Amino acid sequence: MATVYDVVVVGSGAAGGTMAAHLARAGAHVAIVEGGPKINTRTDFPTHSMPWEFANRQIPKMKPGKPGMESERARGLGGKTLTWNAVAWRFGQRDFKGKTFDGGGENWPIDYADLAPYYERIEREVGVCGNYDGLEDLPDGVFLPPAPYKCSDKLIDKGARKLGLKTIHVRKATLTQAKFGRPGCHYCGNCMAGCDVVAKYNSYDVHLLPAMKTGKLEMIPNAVVREVMTGGDGRARGVKFLHRETKAEGEVLGKSVVVCCACVQSVALLQMSAKDGLANSSGQLGKHFIPHFTGGVEAFLDGLVGAPLKDDEGFLDHAYLPSFMHERKRDYFRSFGAQFGYQNRRGIGWARETPGMGAGYKKAVKDQYPAFVVFSPYGEMVPNAKSFVDLDYGKLDQYGLPSARRQVTWMENDWKIFKDMQNWSKEILLSAGAKIQKVWEEPRTNHELGGARMGNDPRTSVVNAYCQTHDVKNLFVLDGSVFPSASEKNPTHTIMALAARTAEHMAERAKKGEL
Amino acid sequence: MAERRDALKIIGSISVTCAFPFAADELYAQHEGTHGAISGQAALPEPVYFSKADFATIAAIAERIIPATDTPGAGAAGVPAYIDFVVGRNPAQQKVFAKGLAWMKKQTKGRAFGQLGEKEQLAILEPLCARCDAGPVKGKGERFFKALKALTSDGYWTSKAGMGETLGFNGNAILGSYPECLHEH
Repeated sequence: MATVYDVVVVGSGAAGGTMAAHLARAGAHVAIVEGGPKINTRTDFPTHSMPWEFANRQIPKMKPGKPGMESERARGLGGKTLTWNAVAWRFGQRDFKGKTFDGGGENWPIDYADLAPYYERIEREVGVCGNYDGLEDLPDGVFLPPAPYKCSDKLIDKGARKLGLKTIHVRKATLTQAKFGRPGCHYCGNCMAGCDVVAKYNSYDVHLLPAMKTGKLEMIPNAVVREVMTGGDGRARGVKFLHRETKAEGEVLGKSVVVCCACVQSVALLQMSAKDGLANSSGQLGKHFIPHFTGGVEAFLDGLVGAPLKDDEGFLDHAYLPSFMHERKRDYFRSFGAQFGYQNRRGIGWARETPGMGAGYKKAVKDQYPAFVVFSPYGEMVPNAKSFVDLDYGKLDQYGLPSARRQVTWMENDWKIFKDMQNWSKEILLSAGAKIQKVWEEPRTNHELGGARMGNDPRTSVVNAYCQTHDVKNLFVLDGSVFPSASEKNPTHTIMALAARTAEHMAERAKKGEL
Repeated sequence: MAERRDALKIIGSISVTCAFPFAADELYAQHEGTHGAISGQAALPEPVYFSKADFATIAAIAERIIPATDTPGAGAAGVPAYIDFVVGRNPAQQKVFAKGLAWMKKQTKGRAFGQLGEKEQLAILEPLCARCDAGPVKGKGERFFKALKALTSDGYWTSKAGMGETLGFNGNAILGSYPECLHEH
């Protein structure tokens, strides 16, 4: 007879990895089902490659012959945490209750106080570096020492201060000193190619592998889930999958199912699982899609033009400009924050646009090289009816499954934020002393959020405050899709804290025989 | 809330993971599906896509854009082979190059570009370069020069000679601690 697991977790990234490890440690028999292969983070990523090793001068995602990270539905055990930038903010109370604060968007059904203990649990478990800044809007946590500022950060901070603003040390789930049997960061500057020593958190090495020792966790890689199965009683009973390579069909059965295969893919999986979408009596599934939008201003800092080159790529960005407009007079809802300098020095596309030719051009590029910086502000999108996720049956992927289609329309409020954040980025750079190279004219999406939003009212939301679907009691959705509002802050830490909270809730309910 | 008239609608797959965007995007699209390895960076290897004559012209122009100084120039950095590799896989670029090379032959009255003296070469290239720097380009010669400069730039600055020797790239090392900035900025 087929094994019936206590919990089947679909997806092995930040949410799935946290969820599965916490549940297994609580004694539940857990299967984690991942579309991609097992990846050896120590050997399979081209972490220390340089562009000239490849004909097209582009460092590939995986070393030649190593599978993984190749398609949206099949990435690898560890999901996007394998190649993320590890920024780890706690949301503040304003992020959970934005509607109360400024009238726009939607509130979360939980408060900062509900999630604070779980943020702390994650910080103590995975290691987050940062400074104690005492900001109400960006609550402090339990931190390892921050990474020092770069030269460019100091210049930008000085420019920001002249305008009455302040930057802070970035907070990342990257170890700045050895801990948990993992080494500290060695600052090779290529975090997003995959960290080969696990100084940077990834869910496979930090959550899943240790949890295997419980004997309660089974990893099922290469299984592209195509459907959450339900029984005659309307309860979820497991998942159907296709093998990543052979496309052979299979099933994994469970008493509960947790869908956490990344925002858009989670929504798409529920949409594929029933005619009008599983757990969609509200009709809200796929709606309120609110990815972050980014701007960008590229510049050369005067203070570093012609400076001797330093090996200071570090772990990419070391500083951050926290949101400040939310407490100022403005003509829009919500606000923005800005990362800067998260490019390493291995891409030099800007040199195309350096004027001239000959020895003069060559010298100009060399002089500008240490001074290049990109300011990347992130804005919060307010939900609108024209931004949603649906399925495109006209476009089937390699598994014969409909593509998940993202529809994004930026509205007046989004454009106002975008223009303001671009202006501020320029002003700060100019105040720091810089020559502006390029200003993006249009927003680009990043950090996908929304589509299965959380709320207390089953008529207007898909899941409740514990990420349990209103319609199917033993089905949970857990990733960026449940965010009712996006904040302007990078979302992963909040996703992991939600996963820890939901795992604890499920374990307690299971003990009482309620699941 | 009123919808902005020029609100941008994006349908289908958009790149959303937190990646390195910016100018490199263009590079990525252009190079899609072109993994493989270029063997040894010899002085002027056999072209795969271009004719020998065209390849020599491209190499000569690339060397004018990034000449050898106290560090290697475009030729020694293997830029001509890189351009051959990229254009050979990009039909849009092929048109620009074909028109541009034909235009160039008219300018040199049939002589090989590489056989012209330095002054003659620069007399053709420098005005083109100035017009490209001035703003949007239309003419065949300008479009050709702009594309060739872009590829020369990409190829050179990502080569070991360009990034390593000329720019002095010194990263990608295993550091015991982060080299904090101690300057008075």
